[in-house]
Amino acid sequence: MSQEDTNQMLRDAVGGFAARDTSIARVRALRETDPGFDRAVWKKIADAGWTGILVPEKFGGAGLSLPEMAAVLEEFAKTLSPEPLNAVSSLAALTLSGGDNEALQARLLPQIAAGDLIAAVAWQESESGIDPAAIETTAKEAAGGYALSGSKRFAVPFGADAYLVSAKGQGGVIVACVDKSAKGLTVDSELRADGTRVARLKLDNVQVAKADIVASAGAGARALGQAIDQTTILAGAELLGVMSRALEITLDYMRTRVQFDRPIGSFQALQHRAVDLFIQKELSFSVLRDAHIHLAQDADALALWASRVKSRCSEAGMRIGRESIQIHGGIGFTDECDIGLYLKRAMVLSAWLGNGAVHRRRYAALAPALEAA
Amino acid sequence: MQTRDWDQMDDEAFRLEVRKFFQQQFPEHLRYPPHHLSWAQTKDWYKKLYAQGWAAPAWPKEWGGMGLNGSKMLIFIEEQERHGVARTPDMGIILLGPLLIRFGNEEQKKEILPSTLSGDFIWCQGYSEPNAGSDLAGLKTEAVLDGDEYVINGSKIWTSYAMDATHMFILVRTDKAAKKQEGISFLMLRMDTPGITVRPIKNLLGVEVFAQVFLDNVRTPARWLVGKPNQGWTMAKALLGFERISIGSPKLAQAGLEKLEQVARQQGLMKDPAFVDRYNQLRLDVADLGSTYGRFAEIVKRGGTLGPDVSMLKILATETYQRLTELTLEAAGDAGGLAGKVDFNGMPIDILSPFYMARPSTIYGGSNEIQRNILSKNVLNLPG
Ligand SMILES: Cc1cc2nc3c(=O)[nH]c(=O)nc-3n(C[C@H](O)[C@H](O)[C@H](O)COP(=O)(O)OP(=O)(O)OC[C@H]3O[C@@H](n4cnc5c(N)ncnc54)[C@H](O)[C@@H]3O)c2cc1C
Repeated sequence: MSQEDTNQMLRDAVGGFAARDTSIARVRALRETDPGFDRAVWKKIADAGWTGILVPEKFGGAGLSLPEMAAVLEEFAKTLSPEPLNAVSSLAALTLSGGDNEALQARLLPQIAAGDLIAAVAWQESESGIDPAAIETTAKEAAGGYALSGSKRFAVPFGADAYLVSAKGQGGVIVACVDKSAKGLTVDSELRADGTRVARLKLDNVQVAKADIVASAGAGARALGQAIDQTTILAGAELLGVMSRALEITLDYMRTRVQFDRPIGSFQALQHRAVDLFIQKELSFSVLRDAHIHLAQDADALALWASRVKSRCSEAGMRIGRESIQIHGGIGFTDECDIGLYLKRAMVLSAWLGNGAVHRRRYAALAPALEAA
Repeated sequence: MQTRDWDQMDDEAFRLEVRKFFQQQFPEHLRYPPHHLSWAQTKDWYKKLYAQGWAAPAWPKEWGGMGLNGSKMLIFIEEQERHGVARTPDMGIILLGPLLIRFGNEEQKKEILPSTLSGDFIWCQGYSEPNAGSDLAGLKTEAVLDGDEYVINGSKIWTSYAMDATHMFILVRTDKAAKKQEGISFLMLRMDTPGITVRPIKNLLGVEVFAQVFLDNVRTPARWLVGKPNQGWTMAKALLGFERISIGSPKLAQAGLEKLEQVARQQGLMKDPAFVDRYNQLRLDVADLGSTYGRFAEIVKRGGTLGPDVSMLKILATETYQRLTELTLEAAGDAGGLAGKVDFNGMPIDILSPFYMARPSTIYGGSNEIQRNILSKNVLNLPG
């Protein structure tokens, strides 16, 4: 089967899920709840195979790559489902498989693929730091393993079964798998714009056995960096899904809402605005597509493409969200109108893993402008 | 209650006195509220203002106002915004009072103004309808004279403070045969009249500030018609100019600038030249908005009337503020996705509320698209 056929099949499958297993009403009902998503729905997502797309076949997954996961996530994001598919099945799964503990991979990856383990990567400590090496949390060698101390923020999802925590060891960054009920671990939540939650961790001398070290000092920074960048590209795909649906809804509204005896979509001021939003969406699509093409040939350019994708998709997602509200008028400022849910999801996705500005800065550092001759 | 001749006072002295009062009397916990506050939350403050004789700065003294001239009125508003003094449900003071004073008869003034000033009557504005927003003149809610009462049927929407209001002033259609704008009348009614149902509507922040109001055979005395029948449109329009200049004040944007700076410092962004350039661009936008505001304020101070070009002030002020809240969100990094007060190294800052509150400022009071239509038609004289 060609990649295009596979992707189409995957998209159709998500379409089936959207029609059967989720709805905007469900999304609304889960807002601000604890943990903010539904484990029964998570199980259905796993049964469909999407939690295992990026998990190697030998560990019970499908062993597919970014374009397939992107296709699923783009469609999935259109449903606004709060289940943390990208955070768990991309970020956590990729961190695990990028690590150097094969026994742990063999133990955890099948559980992730099966939907039995929800793991969250806890790597960030400050509001705009996306460098996995710039951390303060420490890992001290202790009897048969490490003792972790420090704090983490923005770990997705809150309510995970285990956290993959990064920490500074002697020889570099390590990643350790910490059970949610580990002694010395405190997990709080912070509420996000869309009603979902992120975890805030405090680690006070948390003991981790060697067997639970996902990545040792030699491998941690690289494993995390790669996983984060790949997930960042996939977050771009999610943003593309959200902005596409938001734009569709807005165009529909422009066709039906009548003022001054004509559809508001007939006013040129709004038409041009809609066209500009469409162009932003197309740019997002282009850069994502190109990222997939180039990364298939040159995996080393991952960070650069991640920053290109995230800069564009964050900006476009936010702009389409904001302007969709404006085009809706008063009803756009209500909670009962769905368009606000898309804006809020765009806000969350564009802030996650580094927003547009953070990635523009990184892009500039990775691809310095040519000096004038 | 103080009745003083504010006109005698020098502008700067007046500014300082107003500032001192707000600083000493306004409850600290209500400053810069994240959203519009209810009557229950602001009642005590309103009573204080009333006791001071400052509840209606723009009303003439004979009706209990401060009788401020344009210049002092602007100072009053500026100081309010500078200190983050929260708005109360003030539609009666800001919109209805001036309209009654100008177009109402003596009985109406005596019956309505004192109770409105004291806060016993809380008003909401029933203009917009589900199918008449930008095209307000297309409103369909109908009033038919029956003896000495009007009988009203229809529905109003986005009515701010409808849950708090004891009364509503409303635009209704009284002549279906006339041209759209010429068949509209201005009525007042009590919110506890049988036939009224209020459905509160949650806004983007999840707070119920506005509502849909259903009117089913609602009866209101004919003496509560303001002006002549079918002149409601002209009267309502006559008051728009001042609304646009007060919405165009640069003070809100200045407060936004301070917040942006606070967040940017926390994030170490003031060392990033690219950020600082964008920050300075916004600083200049705010400064130049201030200069433009100054031009219009001068006209008000001289007692002149504002032309259609005042629409540019609303566009500038609201869009500058929106961009400020957007950059603040961006400066907050990953915390820009967090709701409520966010912990920035121990300093709690609410990032999202200003961003949300800035959204509808380009929608209400005549959307910015409508303001641009006004400018292109009436100022640039483009064909259309
Ligand atoms: C927070 C808030 C508080 C409010 N409080 C009150 C209140 O207390 N009392 C009250 O009566 N009303 C109130 N309103 C209503 C407000 O005045 C209307 O929302 C506004 O007039 C826009 O009307 P609409 O919502 O029906 O949007 P629409 O008129 O349907 O507009 C939808 C979109 O079409 C655009 N559009 C419309 N016509 C044109 C055109 N000719 N050319 C180009 N673009 C056009 C608009 O700009 C907008 O982007 C409030 C609104 C909000 C958001």
